Amino acid sequence: MADVVLDRVEKRFGDVLAVAGIDLTIRDQEFLVLVGPSGCGKTTTLRMIAGLEEVTNGDIRIGGRSVTHLPPRGRDIAMVFQSYALYPHMTVARNMSFSLKLRRTPRAEIDRRVKEVAGILGLTEQLNRKPRQLSGGQRQRVAVGAALCRQAGVLLFDEPLSNLDAKLRVHMRTELKRLHLAIRSTMVYVTHDQVEAMTMGDRIVIMNGGVICQVGTPLEIYDKPASRFVAGFIGSPPMNFFEGEIAADEAGAAVLLGGGLQLPLPRPDLAERAGRKVWLGIRPEHISLTQAGRMTSEVSLHRVFRTAKVPSVIEVVEPLGHRVILTARSAAGPFQMETEIHAGVHGGERVELWFDMNRAYLFDRDTEAAI
Amino acid sequence: MGAKVPILPSAREPERRPKLLEREAPFGYLLVLPAVLYLAVFIAYPFLMSIYMSFTDAQAGNPKWEFIGTQNYSKVESYQVLANDFVLATLPDEAAAKRFAAARDSAKVTTEPAGSRFRAVLEAAGTRVPLLELGSEGDASYLGETVGKELSWKVEKRGGQYAVVAHAAEDAPVTFGPYNDKATLNRERRSDILVPAKTTVKTQGKGVMQDPNFRLAVKNTFKYTFGTEAIKLCLGIPCALILNRKFGGRRLLRGLLVIPWVIPIAISAQAWLWILDSTYSVINWCLVHWGILSPGNIINFRGDKNWAMLSVIAVNVWRGFPFTTIVILAGLTAIPDEILERARLDGANGLQRFAYVISPMVRPILMVSLLFSVIFSFTDFNTIWIITKGGPYDQTQVLSTYAYQLGVNAGYLARGAAISLFMFPIMAVMVFFMLQFLRREA
Repeated sequence: MADVVLDRVEKRFGDVLAVAGIDLTIRDQEFLVLVGPSGCGKTTTLRMIAGLEEVTNGDIRIGGRSVTHLPPRGRDIAMVFQSYALYPHMTVARNMSFSLKLRRTPRAEIDRRVKEVAGILGLTEQLNRKPRQLSGGQRQRVAVGAALCRQAGVLLFDEPLSNLDAKLRVHMRTELKRLHLAIRSTMVYVTHDQVEAMTMGDRIVIMNGGVICQVGTPLEIYDKPASRFVAGFIGSPPMNFFEGEIAADEAGAAVLLGGGLQLPLPRPDLAERAGRKVWLGIRPEHISLTQAGRMTSEVSLHRVFRTAKVPSVIEVVEPLGHRVILTARSAAGPFQMETEIHAGVHGGERVELWFDMNRAYLFDRDTEAAI
Repeated sequence: MGAKVPILPSAREPERRPKLLEREAPFGYLLVLPAVLYLAVFIAYPFLMSIYMSFTDAQAGNPKWEFIGTQNYSKVESYQVLANDFVLATLPDEAAAKRFAAARDSAKVTTEPAGSRFRAVLEAAGTRVPLLELGSEGDASYLGETVGKELSWKVEKRGGQYAVVAHAAEDAPVTFGPYNDKATLNRERRSDILVPAKTTVKTQGKGVMQDPNFRLAVKNTFKYTFGTEAIKLCLGIPCALILNRKFGGRRLLRGLLVIPWVIPIAISAQAWLWILDSTYSVINWCLVHWGILSPGNIINFRGDKNWAMLSVIAVNVWRGFPFTTIVILAGLTAIPDEILERARLDGANGLQRFAYVISPMVRPILMVSLLFSVIFSFTDFNTIWIITKGGPYDQTQVLSTYAYQLGVNAGYLARGAAISLFMFPIMAVMVFFMLQFLRREA
């Protein structure tokens, strides 16, 4: 069992509160991703788990045992660093076996494990090379291999893919995911890239300003963002936000946006909160050029009814390949939407766009929490 | 088909040289010129000049130099044979050998003619031992008496038998010769001494190679260089490790560290002269004050032959170790934090981190610093000249000071040049090996 429990863990650097007393349970064999913008405390949290940073307050338990005051080597963890942190003077094999040598593991056992890990990672050919003779991707794999050789209960990753080029990063993402399925140790992965977080994590922890904003599976995070920050952080292009106010109309509730634009809400209960200042959030993929949108097959009549018409002007057209991103402007303000590449829209065109109000989110303008 | 492909006019124009002011190369040469001139005038010319001079008989005050070949380097004028231990008798048992040795006081040395030469014969304990055979009766008699009567006899076990040995001290051997040429030397060496003896050949002459002081200077130079470097490393590595930690006042301390290195040696050496003064030395004062030394036993740092070398080494270390420290510190700072953190996670304690991670990563830059430092110490003149001037009795004489003394102070320009040129091949070899090492590392 190598579950990791953070119990009101706090970290201060002088007067700066880097991590503000977080509670988090990382389950055994789970792939957990810590994600957030830079300075959100995710790396500090990881380094506290590793034992590289002292914990100011709180307790960290690994496999039920408190490790808060243990040095890194007593914690049953291995870590992959952003810069890979390979020993430049050692060959790949020695890089991978260094921690085992320090632990006085028998030679035969070291050789066996290095061979096995090199086999998994496709490094068998490179075992006698020095790190500088390897490509970026190979170095990355050596760093992972060195961590795997330890057979530690918990593997920590500190933005391990951020030094790779885009194509290799996508490839390594899949490789790491596959690796996790194969070796099944607990993995804690820090990244600032929401795509990495969504694709790799069993669960995602979104952090901002030293606190945890939301913990959940990728789908939970995408479907039910707990706050405006989470909603804006996950998704590409990011969610559009409009300032607005809840209003009551004949059909139930509506949201009144700038420029007199009033969109119906599929939640009649909100009529009671009329006058509340809110953010209306809607993802680019939930805005379409036609009323039925691209979800015709799956939407019910009810949902079709709850699309809202927004007259807009297309400003910029950015084709991505299979999709195209349109930047448009409505009376309520600018926004982005995503549609099929053959939609045949041109810059400057006046169109009527349809917002899928079933997939729209409301956030309180003061607390930024989801309503 | 016959349509002509239009050719862009610019594609056919011959390439013209850009105007002088547009080109970068002449400007570059212009900037390099002062450096080239400096190297030519102050480095290349003196170097070539001293090579030329070392093959002449240049002397101060002598306007005409004559080419004399390699005589300044090596010119043998005579040979001597130095003998130390003469085996007078070899006996199978110890008691007999002791009896023979005890007969020294009653032993007699007689000289008798042997053909055209004269033979010295030792008579002791009833045996006649022919000792020497020399060309003149006087020599045979004198050296025979020396071996037989003046040397002390002792019994040594040699290969199961007991030998009675007439022993001469290392620095007071029995001297045969001089012989003017090698053939005579070899002939005499075989026929002169009739008993087994330990002999060495000593050459005498005006060449630098025949100068015992030169040999001493070479030995001292190596002592001085490697003594200094070893201590510098022993001080520099811990200092760099300490300064690499984060603590209050670290910047101040780093600044203070370089002071010995930036103060001109002429000034700092003055302070050292006082510190090492024979009468007023502050070190002696402290030692006496703390009761470690009695006032009558104070150390004469610059005048005592055992302390003089240590003193000059201490001054050079004091001057040079900041440089070593800073270079090592630079090497340490270049090690990424993540590597050290990974080493901690891998389970390495402080000592293991130093042995397996830090020192291999610092080694290349350390070698570069060592290279500079060795050259600096090997050619160091200032420190020794100011502190001891090579004394006492040449105990701190190194190649650079000896070259100066002989070439400038004594006026033997050519021999001084020859001595200073000796440093060149020695250093070339050292530099070669160090660069070789660096290339292997990289």
